[in-house]
Order: sequence, then C-alpha cells, then structure tokens
Amino acid sequence: MGARASHAAAVPGAERIRRETGFSQACLLRLHHRFQALDRNNKGYLSRVDLQQIGALAVNPLGDRIIDSFFPDGNHQLDFPGFVRVLAHFRPVDEEDPGVRDPKQPEPLNSRMNKLRFAFQLYDLDRDGKISRNEMLQVLRLMVGVQVTEEQLESIADRTVQEADEDGDGAVSFLEFTKSLEKMNIEQKMSIRILK
Amino acid sequence: MSPPPNGLKEEGDRSGRRPSSKQAPKAEGPAGRRGAQPGQKEWRRGSPRPRSPRRKPTEFRSRREELRRQERSLAARTGEARRKRDGRASLKKQRANSKKDKEVLGKEETWKQLKKPRSSSLASNTSGGESLSEEELAQILEQVEEKKKLIATMRNKPWPMAKKLTELREAQAFVEKYEGALGKGKGKRLYAYRMLMAKKWVKFKRDFDNFKTQCIPWEMKIKDIESHFGSSVASYFIFLRWMYGVNLVLFGLIFGLVIIPEILMGVPYGSIPRKTVPRAEEEKAMDFSVLWDFEGYIKYSALFYGYYNNQRTIGWLRYRLPMAYFMVGVSVFGYSLMIVIRSMASNTQGSTSEGESDNFTFSFKMFTSWDYLIGNSETADNKYASITTSFKESIVDEQESNKEENIHLTRFLRVLANFLIICCLCGSGYLIYFVVKRSQEFSKMQNVSWYERNEVRRIVMSLLGMFCPPLFETIAALENYHPRIGLKWQLGRIFALFLGNLYTFLLALMDDVHLKLSKEATIKNITHWTLFNYYNSSGWNESVPRPPLHPADVPRGSCWETAVGIEFMRLTVSDMLVTYITILLGDFVRACFVRFMNYCWCWDLEAGFPSYAEFDISGNVLGLIFNQGMIWMGSFYAPGLVGINVLRLLTSMYFQCWAVMSSNVPHERVFKASRSNNFYMGLLLLVLFLSLLPVAYTIMSLPPSFDCGPFSGKNRMYDVLHETIENDFPTFLGKIFAFLANPGLIIPAILLMFLAIYYLNSVSKSLSRANAQLRKKIQALREVEKSHKSVKNRAADRDSEDTSKSSSKTATPLQITHAEPTSHSASQSQALEKKARDTGASSPASGTLLPASQHLPGSQPPEVTPDSGKPQSQTHPWKSASRKSTQRPPH
Repeated sequence: MGARASHAAAVPGAERIRRETGFSQACLLRLHHRFQALDRNNKGYLSRVDLQQIGALAVNPLGDRIIDSFFPDGNHQLDFPGFVRVLAHFRPVDEEDPGVRDPKQPEPLNSRMNKLRFAFQLYDLDRDGKISRNEMLQVLRLMVGVQVTEEQLESIADRTVQEADEDGDGAVSFLEFTKSLEKMNIEQKMSIRILK
Repeated sequence: MSPPPNGLKEEGDRSGRRPSSKQAPKAEGPAGRRGAQPGQKEWRRGSPRPRSPRRKPTEFRSRREELRRQERSLAARTGEARRKRDGRASLKKQRANSKKDKEVLGKEETWKQLKKPRSSSLASNTSGGESLSEEELAQILEQVEEKKKLIATMRNKPWPMAKKLTELREAQAFVEKYEGALGKGKGKRLYAYRMLMAKKWVKFKRDFDNFKTQCIPWEMKIKDIESHFGSSVASYFIFLRWMYGVNLVLFGLIFGLVIIPEILMGVPYGSIPRKTVPRAEEEKAMDFSVLWDFEGYIKYSALFYGYYNNQRTIGWLRYRLPMAYFMVGVSVFGYSLMIVIRSMASNTQGSTSEGESDNFTFSFKMFTSWDYLIGNSETADNKYASITTSFKESIVDEQESNKEENIHLTRFLRVLANFLIICCLCGSGYLIYFVVKRSQEFSKMQNVSWYERNEVRRIVMSLLGMFCPPLFETIAALENYHPRIGLKWQLGRIFALFLGNLYTFLLALMDDVHLKLSKEATIKNITHWTLFNYYNSSGWNESVPRPPLHPADVPRGSCWETAVGIEFMRLTVSDMLVTYITILLGDFVRACFVRFMNYCWCWDLEAGFPSYAEFDISGNVLGLIFNQGMIWMGSFYAPGLVGINVLRLLTSMYFQCWAVMSSNVPHERVFKASRSNNFYMGLLLLVLFLSLLPVAYTIMSLPPSFDCGPFSGKNRMYDVLHETIENDFPTFLGKIFAFLANPGLIIPAILLMFLAIYYLNSVSKSLSRANAQLRKKIQALREVEKSHKSVKNRAADRDSEDTSKSSSKTATPLQITHAEPTSHSASQSQALEKKARDTGASSPASGTLLPASQHLPGSQPPEVTPDSGKPQSQTHPWKSASRKSTQRPPH
C-alpha cells in the first residue's frame, strides 16, 4: 500500500489532472509510466522526436498529424498534463445519460464534441478552422498512396466537399464536419478501452 | 452498512453528547427518513407530511425494521454472529422504544452512517489503485442516504401500490449493494472483492468475445482478400465458408447416425453378398484405376447405399439402421432447407436497417476510414488496400448514379442483349436435347457402357460451359448495367445454362436406372435359381448340410442406387479436379507467364493482351452452388459423398485463397457487393429444390433393389416408416398417424397453410410500405432540420465569434451545441448557459431536470461531477437508479 501511495504521489498534480480529465488513479499512474518511458532523457517533457520513436506511429499515414496534435500551440515540449489531456479525448464515454451531468462543469474532454474536434484537427493542417480541398487531397494521398490516380483523388475530394459543404465556401468547417459524421458512432469509435 | 455494533441505549446516550459537528447539516437530510421532523428542507417543495395516526407509524416501523434487517444481511454474511445478535437484540429494544427515542436514534444512526464512510474513505484514499476514491465514496454515500430516505418515506408517496413495491425493491437492492462500500472491515472488503470480480468478469467477457472472433475460421484470410479485391470477391469466400459450415453439419449427421453405427455394429465385410466384392471383380478390386472409378472395394463399402443391410435392428443397441438411414436422408434436406431459408430471412432483416447513411459516403470514408490503433505494418498495408478499394467502390457507385444516359438507347440495347442471350440459351438447349437424344439412340444400338455413352454429351456440355459465359459477358457489356446488377444477370444466365447440364445428367441417369430396374426381375430369378440349384444339386453328401455358398459367388442385381451414388461421387471428384486444374492453368500459369515473360516480349503483357486474370465471381459461385446440388442429390445414395465434399471445400478454401492472392488482379471496376448475398442464397434454394425433386421421386415411386441397401425387400423405400410405426409404436399412435395421413385432413391443412401464407405476405407488404413511408418522413424531417439549423448556425457563429475571440475554448461548446440536433444538445446548452453566466446558483432549467441538486443542497459537493467517477461501468447503474428516484415530483 505504501509503495503504491508513493507511486501515486510521484505523479505531479495528480488530483488536478484527474479532475480535469476524469482518468482513474490507476490509469493515470499507468500513463505516467508510459510518459516516463517515452521521455528518454528524463527531460520531464516530451519532444516530437520522442513521439516519432513509437513504432506504431511510423506505419500510420497520419502519424505526423497525430504527433502534431500533441503540440497544440506550436510548442515543442509536451509536459505530462498536456499528454494526459490529449489522451483524455480517447477515454470511453460513460454509458450514463448526459442529462445528469452537473451543468456547472465544463464539457468533459471525452465528450462527443471534443472527440470530433480532435479528429477535425487532424485534417485541418493549417488550423484555420476549415478543411480545404487541398488539405483533403494531402490526407487522401497519405491514405491511399499511389494506387489511385490523381484525378480520381481530386474527384473524391471534390465529392467530399460537395457532400459536406453547406455554405458553399468550398471547404469543410467544423460544423459541417460534425454534421457529416452525425450518424457515426464517434463515442465508441474514438475510445480506447484501456483508458478507462 | 453494517449494523450499529453497540447497544442502542448507549448510542442514545452518546447522541445526547453528540457535538454539532460539521456533519450536522448533512445528518439532517437523511434523518428525514424517520419521517418525524417536519419542516425540513427536503419537504419544502412537497406538501407537509400529514401526521398519521399512532397505529400507522408502528406498523410502518416494524416493516422498516424488516427492511433494515435485510440490509444487515451483508454484515450477517460476514459471520459476525455476535454483533448480529447484538443488533437483533437492540432492534427488539428499539421496537419497544417510544417514538421520541426513535427520533434521536435516527439522528444518531445517520450520523454514524456518515462518520464511517468518512473514515473509510480516508483509508481508501491512500490505498489508491483499484479501490474507491473519496469523491466516489461520498457520492455513493449520498445515494445510499437518498435511497434510505426513499424507503422511509415510501409510505407517504401517493403512488400506486405496485409502483411503491418496485421502488422499494429497487431501493433495497441498491442499499444492500452499496452499503458495503461504505462499511469498514469485512463489509468493505467484500464490496471490493465484488467489484474486483465484476471487473474480472467484464474482462473475461471481452476476452471471450475476442476469442470467439478468433475462432471464426479464415476470418483473416477473407479480410485480407476483401481489402485487396473488394467486398464482391470476399462475398464468394464468405459464401464458401458458410457452405463449409453447412456441409460439416450434414457430415456430422450422416457419419454419426449412419456410417459409424454401420461400421461398429453392422455385419462385417464379406459376410453377406451385398458386402462382398463379386468373384469376377475380385482380381482387379484393389487396382488404383478401379478404385479411382469408385469401383472395387470402394463400391462395396459403407460409403455407398448398397453396403447396408436390411436387418431391422443391428447390434446390442438394437439400432434401427434402415429407419435411421431414411430419417437422416430426410433430415439432410430438412436441415438444408431450414438453414438456407433462415439465413435468407436474417439477411433481409439486416438489410432493412441500413441504407440511410448514403448521405455522406465520401465524408465517412475520408474522415473515418483509417484505424488509428493499427500498429502492425502488415495490417497497415491491408488497411491501405482496403481504403483504396472502398474508395474505388464508391467511385463506381457514384459514377453509376450520376450517369447521364440516353434512356431509349439503353433500353434498346438491353432488349437486344436479352434477345441475343435468349437465342444463345435456346440454341444450347436444343443442342443439349439433340445430343441427349442421340446418345440414347446410340445406347440402344450398341452395347457400350454408360460412361462411354455420355462422353459425347459431356464434351458438348463442357464446351458450352466454357464458351457461353464469356459470350454472355460480352453481350452483357451492351446493357451497361452497374457491375453489381450485371453480376446478378450474369449469374442468372449462367444458371439457366447450367440447368441444362443438370437436366441432361439427370435424364441420362434416369434412363439408366429404368434400364437396370427392368433387368432386375430376370437377375432375381437367376439368383433364386442358382441358390436353389446349389442347395439341391446332387453329388453332395446328403447327411452333412452343405456349407452356404460363398457370398462372392452369389449372382446379384446391378443395384441402381449404388450406381447413382457412384455417378455423383465421380462427378464431384472430376468437378473438383477440373476446377483446380483450371485455376492452376488459367490463373497461376498465366500469371507466371505474364510476369516473367514480360521482360522479353514485344508488347506489354501485363497491360496488354493476356494480362492477369480477374477472379471469376459468377463462375465460382455457380460452381459451388451446383456442386452443392450434386451433394444433396447424391448423399442419399452415397452417404460418403458429404465427407468428400467437406474435404473439397476445405482444400478449395485454401487453394482459392492462395490463387486469388497470388495470381489474380482486382476487377477493373471494383464494386461493392450487396450487403445481403440473398441472390446467392436464392439460387441455392432453387438448386436445393431442384435436387430434392429427383430424390423424392426415386424414394416415392421406384422400388428399391431386391438385394442391396437398407430397404431391400420392401416395395417402396418409405415403407420403412410404416413398418416402424406398426411394430414399434403403440397401436393408437399408428391410428393417429393413419388418421393424419387421410387426404381429407391434408387438403384442408394445405389450404390453411396457403391462407396463412397469403395473410402473412400481405401483412409484411403493408408493413414494409409503412416502413418506407416512415423512412421518407424521417429523411424529409432531417432535411428540414438541416436547412433550418444551418441558417441558425450561421447567425450563431457570427454572434459567438465576437465573444469567443478572447478565449477559443469557450467557443467550442457554443458551436457544438448548435451543431448537435440530438438529445445531447439539451444538456450541452445547459452547460453553456452555466458557463455563460458563471454562477454557482442553479438555473431554472437545470432545476427542473436535476431536482436532486435542490433536494439535497448540502450533500452534493460542487466539485463532484457525476462523470468524474472512476470506475465508469460501476457507477452508472446506481446513478440511473437514483435519477429515477430523484426526478419524481415531490409530493
């Protein structure tokens, strides 16, 4: 018990982080271990290079985008609270009815909207709040590689814009993004169950 | 919660000393369960509690004591017998106590309730890990108190009795479940243990689900193929797998109930003529060429009908083999019909629910297709391929739906194509007819074997099968259908062509059977005569009974059933070999040639003429279906056929998977298979029906051979049923069966069935119409909603932009709530309001939704949000339960 308590104490600002993200203590501890494992020189923060070392991210076509999303404001250092905050997007949503949530609280990070926003940011390369046709093409190229011809890619991008775009500005805003994914079970799809 | 361990008198004393500690306001709340403190906050909104007559509270109290005793069962289970006894004793005392005492007690008890969790929560805080956090404990405590209050005040609620009862039970169950969490010592440990077990159970279930998924055979292979070749090719392999499953069941049925009993308990080989190779064939019976034709020893084995004896019962189990044989033959068809129809029905059920999501096909694919949990490069490659394939599929779909075409031209071309194809089919039909007729004439003129007679027919059939499908495909190009629909047409046409094949085959077979049947009478005579001569011939010592004639020497009939079985067996094997060789030559060798000769060839082989082969979906599906038809037809006369077929399906699964992945290229226009492969199933059902007919005909109207098979000596095969009913069932059952078989009963029954079918059909039609209308309505509503929202949103965006520029984070929920038309928006708009006002007081909106916060103003710490609880799955049941109780209007 004592050992565990000391471990729990090792996580700086655990209580605050937990309140913000809703992670359990055990989970937070696990994440902290992971954080320390990733942080190779015990800098106390993570850099882009640290994240690029993860093998699974290397095979991911959007790996760079994912890494970018860990560094929201152009920082080059990712501390533990920030790390946990990003991962909190993937905490599974509780089954309970959202109606009982305390209205005083800000929306939890793992809500549908925040999950969607996270996904949106993966595509919004220049962070202008809109996914333009070019951004779409770039991501498409990452996703399907060379097997599809350029004009087909373009037609796909056109079609996507045409589907989702409502105000006719030729780009997909966050609103339109949420609307197009209205039927998608985001709560379940963007959840990693080990982050309970 | 565990019972108060001390005598209640003591507590009463202590309660007097109780300081007005910090818990005091909290303690007052739950004290309301005593129902004796009027004017408390909890009753502010409801009508004041009426003073009930003296009798009632006592009654009530006794009932409550019972409840409490139930609550204590938890502590009782821990085996603290002494404490329990104390508690009981104290209860008795308490019952004797005056009402005033009770009030004081109530306060005391609740105070204790509060105090205990406090300390335990402190303890748990240090334990960390799996155990509960302080907030959670506080929450649970609060919930438990609420429940207890509910139990106490249940009597005064103006609810119907049934509702009261259910509420009471719910509350009791809840209190019992969670009191342990608040207790000390064993109660708490038990609770923790239970929680741990619950977690373990969830984990186990998840693992088990994973395991089940892993147990689906060839799932990985099929997914692999699907990602590279699209869902249409994968649908063939899924169909193949399904077929394999069905055949496994049939195999189990036949082997378990017919072949194994016969081998274990039947008369051994060589004991009777039907189980012995005749003398004339004995020499060559082990030659491979003979065995390959399923003659020789294989013909006289349990794989074929003729081997079975017509003894009514065999072995010490007195197993009724002929009866079992007949019933298995029937149930093979019964099971197949049932499973095909059931899977068709389940497919249609699944297909009705979807179909609405085509609004945002590309957006879905674009934004959600990548699986971010992939960490394996091979899987990632597959995912690449599958994303590409799915994009291509949707491109084809899109092109089809957007195609602008000259309707008249298309119609003309389609009519023309159909005309041409009908001409082809008629021509090939006539050709088949001609060939069959000629071969029949041949057979009358010359005395050649059946196999040789059919050579010509076979050659014609295989030529037709080779050249017609490509011809159809070329003609179908005129029609300009979507490839998915085109595949169906192609399947239907080739199906019609193959039916001709089946028809000629069956016709020739029937001829043969009739020929054999006509010869049977003479052979029967010869057999009798031989036996008679053998036993009565002179020149043998009369005193010693003559040893029976060796079974190999007995002349015997041709046993048409076995001949039919052998024919199906040969057909299956040759079909399998032809398929494999075609794949090997047509796909693999071609692919090798194209791949390696491309270095030294004058034109580009890969892009030009031979190129790589595409996977032939229609041919393969139909091959599978017709093969299954052969199995159904032949399994009655060759029980071993299903075993061969299981092997065939197994090998072809691996072989074709390999061939597809190694030497085929995806279709030029990869198209999405229809979700339900009911078309395949429909064809299969048709073939099943067609193959049921000849078997039923032979069973019902042809006499079985006189000297082989389980039904020999009977007039018809189904006589075995009569026999069993007469001999083995009580007589009244026989009468009932006879009565049921009366046409006067059967015809009304059939009529009734027709009526039922008609009725159900019309009902389902009207329902589906209503369904379609509702869907349209929903669609229209959504359209309206969308346009409405988008207008509103733009306005809201403009508003919010000004306010949110300072902090972008607050803008997020603003935009979100407007974008979300579902039920989320209600709560989110509340959250929004809250945020905007930034006040601690509850707004009227939240007050109506969350009366709990007003009921217990002191007991809900503001920092504890319902979803900040740690073990999510554990918290929700009581949360919802509590919500139910708290949302009730207070009276």
